[in-house]
This record gives sequence, structure tokens and C-alpha cells, in this order.
Amino acid sequence: MLRPITIAVFAAVIGLWWLAGHLGWVSAFLLPAPATVADTMGDLIASGELARHSLVSLRRVSLGYAFAITLAVPLALLFVLSRPLRATFEPLLEFLRQIPPLALMPLLMLWLGIGETQKIGIIVLSCFFPIFLGVRGGFAAVDRKLIDVGTVCGFARPEIMLRIVLPSALPAIVVGLRIGLGYSWRALVGAELIASSAGLGYMIVDAENLARTDIVLAGILVIGALGLAADLLLRLAIRTLAPWLAGDLEMARA
Amino acid sequence: MLELVGIGRRYRVDGGEVRALADIDLVLPKGSFTALVGRSGCGKTTLLRILAGLESPSEGEIRRPAQAGPLRIGVVFQEARLMPWLDVRGNVGFGLHGRLPRHETAARCTAALDLVGLSAFAGAMPGQLSGGMAQRVAIARALVLEPEVLLLDEPFAALDAFTRRAMQNELVGIWQRRKPTVVFVTHDVEEAVLLGERVLEMQAGRIVGRENIELPYPRDPTAPEANRYRRTILARLMADPAAARPEPAALS
Ligand SMILES: Nc1ncnc2c1ncn2[C@@H]1O[C@H](COP(=O)(O)OP(=O)(O)OP(=O)(O)O)[C@@H](O)[C@H]1O
Ligand SMILES: [Mg+2]
Repeated sequence: MLRPITIAVFAAVIGLWWLAGHLGWVSAFLLPAPATVADTMGDLIASGELARHSLVSLRRVSLGYAFAITLAVPLALLFVLSRPLRATFEPLLEFLRQIPPLALMPLLMLWLGIGETQKIGIIVLSCFFPIFLGVRGGFAAVDRKLIDVGTVCGFARPEIMLRIVLPSALPAIVVGLRIGLGYSWRALVGAELIASSAGLGYMIVDAENLARTDIVLAGILVIGALGLAADLLLRLAIRTLAPWLAGDLEMARA
Repeated sequence: MLELVGIGRRYRVDGGEVRALADIDLVLPKGSFTALVGRSGCGKTTLLRILAGLESPSEGEIRRPAQAGPLRIGVVFQEARLMPWLDVRGNVGFGLHGRLPRHETAARCTAALDLVGLSAFAGAMPGQLSGGMAQRVAIARALVLEPEVLLLDEPFAALDAFTRRAMQNELVGIWQRRKPTVVFVTHDVEEAVLLGERVLEMQAGRIVGRENIELPYPRDPTAPEANRYRRTILARLMADPAAARPEPAALS
């Protein structure tokens, strides 16, 4: 998975970053050197601060993401099964979908405070729609011609659902899950930047207030790395559970 | 035996109405081989779908003999329609899954794959097959069911001439051994004469001609007798005034 070219690209970016400081293109305050950031990262790891903030953020994302799935999947299934429900609530959902979750932050803070509930609320808001739409779209796009194959085999409805409709819908569902995961991670860090007392986003604003750009950069790198790791984990799970979906996943780079 | 009495099928299309089938009276004796020919859009697939129970007729009825279980029907569609998430073996055994002991399903799948010449591809995914190979998988999927009624919709259209001949012979062999009731749709008159005990000619939703092919199997499509049948059927299909008009009978 980690090809030489990938390593070369990352190395080149770090090299450029180092060069920028070394040749004095930017001040060491605005862009601390890679070595400084690495040192800071070491300190943050040694003091346990990085682990603490990361764990807080990861816990929020896991909870929020799991909660969003338990909310979005059944709701989407209801929508798939009931045309009246669709007709009634579709416009409302379409309206809600247009609102960026972070725009709801002020209200959420008033309603839920700035504790865990509000963070998880933001995550649910940000990844509900990708998951919901993935499930809905997956079921809507099932090929009638494949259902015919089950019908002539004498399958009853439950068997058609389980053996034809569900596997057909899976690619879109998986894509929705992947997009949702990315959204939730980004929304969380955003929420932590605005109002929080722990988490990677908080670590960054706190460092900014102390004029510690090295910590800011270290935090940014960790956020990127953890997001990437979560995505890789999801892809790995799918690759092992449903290898035929591996190709469909590439649509999900959102 | 299956009997169709006064079957008709209308579709609403773009505000108007298309009559895909009209006044179809047809008896399919148990164990018979019927070939259905006619140009594109004449209603062959619609008739097959009604026989398969995938579509209900707008008028008329299908009569079946009372029997214990449901009729085992095998269908080969015009396109392969494989499940993209199953490998070839999984697709072949698709209709048997959970209905037979595992080893029996496996044995039947192996035999069917062998029959269609795809044993080496048992583990391949549908995306890795050519069109003709996929269609052969679909044929195997229908055969493993050991159907009492076998409905085939232009099953060999995607095959090359050599595979096609081999598959035609295999089909006749299977039919002679197991005696399912076969309905074979094609727009190739030569193929119809090669395979069918009788050939039904369709035009604009109606059966307009019938020809019993009194030739022993295996047949030689280039034999003078076969050619004679072919010429008769073609002449009739071309002479029909409806043949000059490519669209099916459209009503407003
Ligand atoms: N689901 C449908 N909705 C509307 N019209 C349909 C539908 N299915 C078939 N028709 C119409 O019925 C007519 C007969 O179609 P059918 O598919 O039976 O033709 P066919 O003889 O199988 O043609 P081909 O040789 O091209 O497969 C056509 O005019 C077609 O447009
Ligand atoms: Mg057809």
C-alpha cells in the first residue's frame, strides 16, 4: 500500500518545508522547521498530552459516528420502504441537508452547552446525511433485473432482500459510511476549535493563544494522520469483509 | 403441460398504449421443445416473462396442472444478469443455495460448469468474464435447478459461432435426457429450425404461424430439409404486411 512514490512525495514536501525555513523564505515563528515540530511532537508524546487530546477526540468521533449510524440507517430503511414517508419528509430533509453543521454551532452551544453532548451532536449532524443518502441511494439503485433472477428461483421477499437487494445496495452504503467518517472527523476538530476544553482542536487553539506554532503544526499533522488511519481502517475492514467492493470505495474520496 | 388462453399484455408508454401481446392461445405439452421466432419488439420476451411468472397478463389466463409443489422454472434472460458480488460458482449455485445439501449443490455446480466449459473459471468474478462467458454462466445457473420448464431468451446471441453450435447441441442433449418443457426465443430462423420440435412465428404481439419440424435430432442446419423449413418460415414472416412496419402494433 505504501509505494515508494508515496514516500518520495511526502519526503519532498518535508524537504521543501525544511528548505523554506533554512533559506529564510518564512520566519521560524510562522513556519517552525520540521525538526522543531518533531521535537515538540516528542515532548507532547512524552508528557502524555498528545495521547490525552487524541483520545478525547477519537472517543467523540467514535461515539458520534456510531450514534449517527444507528440513527441514519434505520431511518433510511424506513424511507426506502415507505413512499408516503418519503413524500412527506423529503423536502424537509433536503432543506436541512443544505445547512453546514458548523453553522448550527451557536444554537447547539446554547442548547447543549459546550460539553460532550454538543460535540457528539455536531458529529451526528455532519455525518448523518452522507450515511443516510448512501443507504437510500443504494437501495434505490438496485437493478430490477437482478430481482427477477431471484423471483424466478422462487425466492420469497425476505430472501430477495437478503441475497439480492442488500448486496446490491452495499457499495453505495459503504461509500456513504466512508464519506461520513471523513466529515465527522473534520467537523469535530472544527467544533473543538470553537469551544472546547480538550481534544486535538482545543490543543491547537490553546497553542495558538500561547504563540506556539510548533504545537499547532504538530496538532495538524496528528489530525491528518489519525483521519487517514481511520479511513485506512475502514477500507481494510471492507476489503476483508466485502472484497468485491474495493473498487467502489474509490468513488468516496470526498 | 402449460396452457395459455387468450393472453394479452398492454403497456402504458408515453401517454399512449402499446399492445405487446394479443390473443395468444398456446399449449405447451410436457417435455416439448418450442422455438419462438420473430423480429425485434414483437413480444417474445414479454411472452417469456409471463410464462416465467414475472409479469401478469392484462387479459387471459395461464392454466397449469394441479401438482404438489410449485413448478420448477429455469430462465435464461436475454442478458446474463449475474450477481457481481458472487464468483462464477456462487452464481451458478445461486438458486440452489440453502435448498439442497451443500455437497449436492457443489456437485451440480461442478457438472454444470463442466457442461458450459467454464470449469477453469469457477473462482472468477463476473467482471472478469467476456459477454459470451457470462451468458454461459447464466445458462449453467438455470440448468442446475433441473427445471421442469426451461425458458430461454436468445441465450446464444452473445456467443461465437463455434461455442454457439456446441451449446445448441448440449441443449438438445439435456432436453432429450431430462425432458423439460422448453421455450426457446430467438430471432434466428435457422436456430429455431435446428432446435424446435415446432416453431412459432410471432408478429406484432401475435402468433401468426406454426410449423412442426419433422426432423430427427441431432439436426444438420445445412441439410436440404432444414433449409426448406427455413425458407417457408422466412417467406411467411417477410410476406406478412406487418413485417413492412418495424414497430409493434401501437394503439392510442
Ligand atoms: N416494461 C415495459 N414497459 C413498456 N413497454 C414494454 C415493456 N416491456 C416491453 N414493452 C414493449 O412491448 C413490446 C414487446 O417487447 P419485447 O421485449 O417483448 O420484444 P422482443 O420480441 O423480446 O424484442 P427483442 O427481440 O428486441 O428482444 C415492445 O414494443 C416494447 O416496447
Ligand atoms: Mg426480447
